[in-house]
Amino acid sequence: MKRYLSNRWAIIAFIAPALILFGVFVFYPLLQVFFYSFTEWDGVNPAVFTGLANYRKLFDYSAFKVANLNGLKFGAVITVYQIVLATIFAIAVSDKRIHCRKFFRTAYFIPVVLSVTVVCQLWVSIMEPTNGLINAIARALGINWQQNWLGKRYEAIYAIAFVNAWQWMGYQFALLVAGMKSIGEEYYEAAEIDGATALKSHWYITLPLLKDTYNFCLLVSVTGGIKAFTEMQIMTGGGPGTATYTLTYIMYRQAFVSHKYGYGLSAAAILVLECLVVIMILNWLFKDRETPLLKRRSLKGGELA
Amino acid sequence: MSTVPVKKKAKLGSPRQHRGVSSVLFTIFLWLYAVISLYPLLWMIFYSFKSNEEIFVTNPFGPPIAWKFENYVNAWTQYDVPLYFKNSIIVGALTVAITIICAMMFTFAVARLRWKLSETARTFIALGMFIPVQAIMLPVVQTVSGLGLMGTRWSLIFPYAGINLAFACMVYYGFFKGIPKEMEEAACMDGANIAQTFLYIMVPLVAPATITIAIYVFLSAWNEFILANVLVGTTAHLKTLPLGVLFFQGQFTTDWGSMGATMVIASLPAIIVYCLFSERVEQAMTVSGAVKG
Amino acid sequence: MKKFLALLLAALLVFSCVSALAEGEKIVLKIYAQYADDDTKIPYDYAVEKLAEAYPNVELELIVQAQDDGATLLSLAAGGQLPDIYQTGSGIFATLRQSNQMMVLNDVAERTGFAAKVYDTCKEFLYSDDGNIYAFPYAGHEYVLLYVNKALFEQYNLEIPTTFDELKACAEVFNANGIVPMALFAQEGWNAAAVYDIVATRYNAGGIKALDNGTASITDEAYVKAAEVVADLAQAGVFQTGATSTNYDQASEMFLSGKAAMFVNGQWYIPDAEKALGENAIWIPYPSYSEEAFEASKTAFCGSGSVSGYAVNPDSPNAELAAEVAAFISEKYCEAKIVLRSSPLVALDVGMTNDELPVMMQDLVATIPTMTSTTAFTWGLTNPTFTEAIGTWSQALISGEYSAQEVIDEIAAVME
Repeated sequence: MKRYLSNRWAIIAFIAPALILFGVFVFYPLLQVFFYSFTEWDGVNPAVFTGLANYRKLFDYSAFKVANLNGLKFGAVITVYQIVLATIFAIAVSDKRIHCRKFFRTAYFIPVVLSVTVVCQLWVSIMEPTNGLINAIARALGINWQQNWLGKRYEAIYAIAFVNAWQWMGYQFALLVAGMKSIGEEYYEAAEIDGATALKSHWYITLPLLKDTYNFCLLVSVTGGIKAFTEMQIMTGGGPGTATYTLTYIMYRQAFVSHKYGYGLSAAAILVLECLVVIMILNWLFKDRETPLLKRRSLKGGELA
Repeated sequence: MSTVPVKKKAKLGSPRQHRGVSSVLFTIFLWLYAVISLYPLLWMIFYSFKSNEEIFVTNPFGPPIAWKFENYVNAWTQYDVPLYFKNSIIVGALTVAITIICAMMFTFAVARLRWKLSETARTFIALGMFIPVQAIMLPVVQTVSGLGLMGTRWSLIFPYAGINLAFACMVYYGFFKGIPKEMEEAACMDGANIAQTFLYIMVPLVAPATITIAIYVFLSAWNEFILANVLVGTTAHLKTLPLGVLFFQGQFTTDWGSMGATMVIASLPAIIVYCLFSERVEQAMTVSGAVKG
Repeated sequence: MKKFLALLLAALLVFSCVSALAEGEKIVLKIYAQYADDDTKIPYDYAVEKLAEAYPNVELELIVQAQDDGATLLSLAAGGQLPDIYQTGSGIFATLRQSNQMMVLNDVAERTGFAAKVYDTCKEFLYSDDGNIYAFPYAGHEYVLLYVNKALFEQYNLEIPTTFDELKACAEVFNANGIVPMALFAQEGWNAAAVYDIVATRYNAGGIKALDNGTASITDEAYVKAAEVVADLAQAGVFQTGATSTNYDQASEMFLSGKAAMFVNGQWYIPDAEKALGENAIWIPYPSYSEEAFEASKTAFCGSGSVSGYAVNPDSPNAELAAEVAAFISEKYCEAKIVLRSSPLVALDVGMTNDELPVMMQDLVATIPTMTSTTAFTWGLTNPTFTEAIGTWSQALISGEYSAQEVIDEIAAVME
C-alpha cells in the first residue's frame, strides 16, 4: 500500500500541471515583486538596485503603521462577522426543519455575485451622513445619533470592514454548507440516540469535522483584511488622509500615483510575508488535532457515549 | 454508488426544545438577513433605471420615479454586448476547467499520496491567495507578452487559472483529507492503478467541492476587471463584460445609471448560473454524503 | 456529405481571402482615448467623422481609457503593448520618454502646421522640458472655479463672501437651514488639493505648483497658514459632512439640485451648471483672509493646462501615419470643443469661434487677460511624489480629523 501511494512518477504527473501553471503565471511574477522591491524602478525603465532603501522608507512612512493596524482591524471584523454568521446560517439551512432552506441558501449568497462597485455604492448611500438610510432611520426613531460613518479618522475602517464582511459572508457560508453536506448523517443519528441536543451535536460533530474548512475560512478572512483595496478605493479614496489605507492601498498609490513601483512593491512584499505568517500560525493552531477522519470518528463516538 | 440508501433525515435534537420564542426570533432573523442580502439586487435594478440626480439626491433607495429605459439602450449600443458576453463565457468556462483539473490532481497528490515535500508544496501554492493583483500586474503583463500570448484568450485564461489555483487547492484539501483511507485500500486490492483510483473514486467523492469551486472560480473570472483591462483591453474582439463599464466612467463625471444597466446585464447571468448550479450542488451532496455513510 | 463540406470550406476560404484583400487597403490604428461622457465622446466622434473624410484609408480602433491613475498605460508600456496612439498626461511623461516609447513629433508638428496653430499662451503645453514635442495637446488653460448658486444667497439675505470669515458666517446660516454651504467631492484627491490650492494662492500665488517645482516649501509660513485656514473652514462646517467619501456626481447633483450653495470644480463644468441653474449659477473670485488681500489676490487663479495630449508609439508599424493622425485628431478635438461644447479654452487656434458661449464662460474669457498667475491641477503636476502627498493630505485637512500641523509634517516628511 505504501508503495502504491508513493509512486514517484505518479506524483510528478499529478502535481506538474498545477506547478507549471502556478509557477509561470503567479510565482514568477511574485519573485519579481520581491526582486524589484529592492530597486528604484518606475515600472518600465531599467531598475536600479538600492538595497533596503525602499524598506527603510516604508518603515518610516506614517501610513505604514496605519495600514498594518487597519489590516488587523479589518481582519478581526470580517473574521468574527463572517465566521459566526456563516456558521449559524449554514447550520440553519442544513437543518431540515427550517422552511425555505433553498431560498435562504441562494439569498445569503447573492451579495457575493454582485460586483464590488455596486455593493460599495450601495453602502456609501446607506451610510451617507445627511440622506443616508441609517441616519434617516435613527432620525425617524427620534434618536439623536447621526454618524459620519466613512469620514471619521479612527472609525471609518470599521465601516468599510463591515461592508466587506457583509458582502463576502456568503462565500464562507457556501463553503461551510458544502462541508456540512459531506458529513455523514449517521454521526447525528448516533448523537441523537445518545440524547444530545442539536446545539451539542453541532458543537461536538460539525465543528470538529469541519476543522480544515474552518482553517481555510479563517485564512480567507484574515488575509482578506491585509489585502483589502477596492472598498477603500471606491468609498473613501483611502481617507480621510491615510486613515483607511491598507498595505495594498499603499502599494497602489506609490506604484501608480507616485510612480515609484519598486517602493510600492516593498509594501506588497511585506503583505505577502505577513500573510505567510498568518498561514503558519493558523496551520500551527489547527495542527495538533490533525488526525485522519476515521480515527477521529471513533474517538468522537466514544466521547459522545 | 447508485444503489445508495435513500437519504435519511437526521433529526437533530428533539423538536420541543426549539419551539417557542427563541425559535420564532431565529426565524425572523433568518428572514431579515435574507432581505438585507437580497435588497442590493433590487437596488441595483432600480439604480439601473435612474438618473444621477435620483441616484444621489432625490431618491437613492426607492424604485425610480422616472424610469430611464435609455440607460439600457446606452449600455446595449455603446459596445457589442453579445460579443463581450461570449468572450466572458469562454474565458470563464476555460478558466474553470483548467483550474479544476490542475487543482484536483495537485491536491490529490498532496493529500493522499505520500511524499516528503507535500506540505511544502501545499503552502507554496497557497501563496497565491495573498498576492494583490495590482502588485503582480506588471510582471504578469510582461510574462504573458514574453510567451507570445498577447492578443489571444489564453493571455487571460492562464493567469486567471494560476491565481485561482490557490483557492481551489485549499478548498479541495479539506475534502480530500476527509475521505477515509479504506477507499484507496479497497481500490488497490481491486487492482486499480492510481489514475483509476483518482478518476473513479476520488473525483466523484469530491464533487460537492468541485461544484462550489467551479462557481467561485467562474464568478471571479466573470467579474474580474483589473487584469482583463490590461491583458485584453487593447484587443477589441477579446474584451470581457466587466470592461463595459469603461464606456461610462469619465475622468470626472460618470453615467451611473447606464453603468448600473451594464452591471445588471453582466451580473444577472452570474446569478442565474449560481441558482442553476446550487441545485446541482444539492444533488451531488446527497450522493457523496451517502457514499460516506 | 463530406464533399459538400469540403466545398463549403473552400468557398469560405476564398471568400475570406477576397474580403481580406478588399479590407487590406485600410490601415487600422489603435487609439487609447477617453470616451465616457459628452465632454469626451462628442469630440472623439467628431474627430472620427472628419478623419474618415481626410484619411479614408485609416480606421481607428478605440481602446477606452480606464480611470486608474495611468496604471493601464504603465502596464501596457511595461509589456511593450502600447497602442499606436495614446492619450497621456504629465505624470507618466518622464517614464515613457526615457523608455523611448514616445515618438518625437517635432517634424510632424511642423509639417502638418500643428505647431504654428498653437496659441502663444499654450506653447508651454506643446514642448516638453527638453524642447521636444512628444504629444499633441488640445486642452488649453483650465481653471479651478468656485461656483455659487446665487439664488440661495439671495434667499437667505447673504452677501457673496469675500473673506474666510464671511464664508464661515454664510456657512452657519446655510447649515442652520439644511443647505450644504460648499459641496466637495474630496473622495477624489484632486478636488481636495484644489481647495487647498485656492487658499494657499491667497498667501503665495504659486500655490501647489510652486511646491511641485520646488520653488516653495510646505513648511513656508504661507502654506502652514493655508493648512490652518482649510482645517478651520472644515471645523466651521463649510464643507458638507462626509465630504471625503463623496464622489464627483454626488457633489455635483447636490449643487445642481439646489441643496448646496457653493461648489469647487473646473471650468469644464460651466455648461452643466448653466443648464441646471440658469443665470443663478455664477462663479466668483476666491475669498481671502481680508478685504485688502481679496482685492490684491483677485487675479491669482488656480489651475492651468499641462503638457499632455495624444502621443504616438514609435514602435508602431505605421508610426509616421499615426503621428499625422494624432495631430489631426487633436486639432479636430479643438474644433469640437469650441463649436459643440462651448469651450473656447483650447490649445490651438483653429480659426473658429462660438458666439453663443454661456455667460459664465464669457466672464471667464474676459477675465483671462487680467490673470496674473495660475497654478496647476494635480494631473498637471510633474513631481509624482508630491502629487500623491498633496491629494492625500489635503483630503485629511478637509475631513477636519487632522490638525494643520500634522498635515504639514506629513507632507514635509514625504518630500524629504
